[in-house]
Amino acid sequence: MVVSVTNVILPNCEKNYIISILIVRKKFYNKVYKSKISNYNGEMLNQEKQIEKAVQEAFPMSDVIDWNEVYQRIIYRYSSPHSLQHIKEEMYKLEDKGEIIVHHIKPYNNPVEAQTLNGIPKKIPTTKLWHHKSCGQCGHIPGYPTSVFWVMNRLEIDYLDEPHQTSCTGWNYHASGASNPVALAGVYVRNMWRAYETGYFPLIHCGTSFGHYKEVRNMIILHKEIRDKLRPIMRKLDMDIVIPEEVVHYSEWLYVMSKKAAQQKKYNLDNIKAAVHTPCHVYKLVPEDTIYDPEVFQGRRPAAPSGTVQNFGAKLVDYSTWWDCCGFGFRHILTEREFSRSFALFKKVIPAVEEANADVFVTSDTGCVTTLDKSQWAGKAHGFNYNLPVLADAQFVALAMGADPYIIAQIHWHATDVEGFLRKIGVPVDDYKEKFIQYLQDLREGKAEPQYIYPKHRKIDFYLALPDRVKWYKPQAQK
Amino acid sequence: MATKTILPPLPDDPRFLDMSYEIQGALPEEQRNLLSNLKPEERELAIKFWEAVKSDFRFNEYLRGCLNCGVCTSGCPAAKFYDFGPREMIQYMMRDAVDKIWEFVNKKVWACVQCYTCSMRCPFNNEIAGLIMLLREYAVKFGLQSAKEVLAPYRRVLLTVITMGNQVTPDMIQPDAFPDWGPQAVEESKNMDVYRKAIPVDLMQRTDIGWHASLQTAVEMMTIFIEAGVLDSLKNIDKDLYDMIMDIYEERKQQLEEIKEKWEKGELKEEELPDSWLEL
Repeated sequence: MVVSVTNVILPNCEKNYIISILIVRKKFYNKVYKSKISNYNGEMLNQEKQIEKAVQEAFPMSDVIDWNEVYQRIIYRYSSPHSLQHIKEEMYKLEDKGEIIVHHIKPYNNPVEAQTLNGIPKKIPTTKLWHHKSCGQCGHIPGYPTSVFWVMNRLEIDYLDEPHQTSCTGWNYHASGASNPVALAGVYVRNMWRAYETGYFPLIHCGTSFGHYKEVRNMIILHKEIRDKLRPIMRKLDMDIVIPEEVVHYSEWLYVMSKKAAQQKKYNLDNIKAAVHTPCHVYKLVPEDTIYDPEVFQGRRPAAPSGTVQNFGAKLVDYSTWWDCCGFGFRHILTEREFSRSFALFKKVIPAVEEANADVFVTSDTGCVTTLDKSQWAGKAHGFNYNLPVLADAQFVALAMGADPYIIAQIHWHATDVEGFLRKIGVPVDDYKEKFIQYLQDLREGKAEPQYIYPKHRKIDFYLALPDRVKWYKPQAQK
Repeated sequence: MATKTILPPLPDDPRFLDMSYEIQGALPEEQRNLLSNLKPEERELAIKFWEAVKSDFRFNEYLRGCLNCGVCTSGCPAAKFYDFGPREMIQYMMRDAVDKIWEFVNKKVWACVQCYTCSMRCPFNNEIAGLIMLLREYAVKFGLQSAKEVLAPYRRVLLTVITMGNQVTPDMIQPDAFPDWGPQAVEESKNMDVYRKAIPVDLMQRTDIGWHASLQTAVEMMTIFIEAGVLDSLKNIDKDLYDMIMDIYEERKQQLEEIKEKWEKGELKEEELPDSWLEL
């Protein structure tokens, strides 16, 4: 009888021993039941048939299970054949064979070395960067990318921001599953090609894009069938498969630059207690490829954005659910929000306020800022009025360096009381607000023109991706 | 072996509890696991579904083994609010329990929030959230009714991401769609166009697109999705959406070809083009 074996987890025995047990059991039962049949004739035969039928009903595949496969699955213990070192080696091997192009970090990118989870060095380029923007940021939290550009202007970083970038489609993929590996790889490679042809190294803004791209990179490098299916599609678009040497998140760049940026700090953050939420997709997807630092929580938590907050002088406070997701859920935040707001409020905001007495909640991803910021207002209906200000680390840094809260950090899109936090650190919020309201009025009436923190693109750049666009654009930027 | 018949002791006999599983039978709590929820007409589809998931190239990489430790479920955010646990799914997958997997895919698989806490903590290095994604991908590919129901409110995002290259648009935030986000959502929606004009980045000044991707980029995105077969699986889920996207694709491709031709010949007059291809 097969039913007994399927409901028991086999211990780690020798293969032959198990199979011999199975054979002996089968023989035994056949003998027992056959003898029973010969003794009890009609009744037993019926019962036996019924039992067999019931087993077949309950376990539709019981007659075709490959026990060898189950055994292999059970004894296949912890093994890490696809560690980061292995993947990097494979990547360079493929480059030597000519199967893929690798976009290297060059000396003109001024790379800085940081440590990853296992101590393996990761090169973080610090200048000549191509911005890979985030949908949710540009759509709903525009102060987030604006702060990144502003900080880069202040630190005199050479960067390029283009219309020729698509979303990573990670949000859609993780929410609905309406995609497939080849499409995901195609989107990745298309964006990387656009960065490669300009010579600027891609910097990823969104946490999900970052984690997702790490996984897609591993998949492209390890699986030939994906490359074979991808190549004809890319050739159709006049492109080829290009993979950057490192997948770099902007919070890693910001952490590496934060000591230098803190020298331009304008406000004193010494009496601020900041709770930090590291986004799940930044450090839980391909965990080996995220940066850690002995100076930040003794290397037990990811370096970004905790290290950034620390380097700016604010006090890092800890709370019991630091490792928990924010509750974004990708699909839940749009169509099942009762989960997102319950989770964000009870498992993140309330511990941060009650246990840690935090003044501000800093995080480094689109979804986390959205969830933590927008989930607090509905709690008022049940008497939970915590109103903990939520800021992205880029906004936090820009505000500390003296950026206009309304024009640059765009805090008017936030639902929580960011103005209260700014008053605590001594920012003249009311003056800025008055100027901004006047500016909006002027814009409405047509008396003022929109200002730009980097030069405008040509109209044709919003239609075609022309090969000479960087040559036209860079002299404009220098003016 | 003896030909003597072996009669099991009766349930009143204290030795009964020492007897093996076949003789004792299932406990009442375990009866649920033996009963099959699989209706005969769904049986074939359920087996085909499971075979398809198992034969995916990522399956053996993602599922390495399971010792039932439960570390995945203890860290799972969805497990705290839904009747869901990654361990349940993995155990069913380890035992090829087709009927249980079918039941799981039709309801619980959509509860996962894709945080990857389970994958990071698993002692077997399983990619558990990746297995959830596999089930979801195949649910969409097979056009299951549960997938259709779950993705119906999600249609607009799908349309935006495939045709515009961005996943969300600023004008999505309307008070009737996001009332629980607070009074600032009302402020935003009333003043959306002037708020966007006040953003000092030229790519982000429109209300109908997050950042203004170029026309060529949008067409390339649609080409990738169509060539990779995503639209074919979407056809099973939402036929109207599929038709809409294919029409938009044809239109945009033609517009791009025309503009490209004119540019290459040097005949393109930039003043004649509207500020954005979205207005074409």
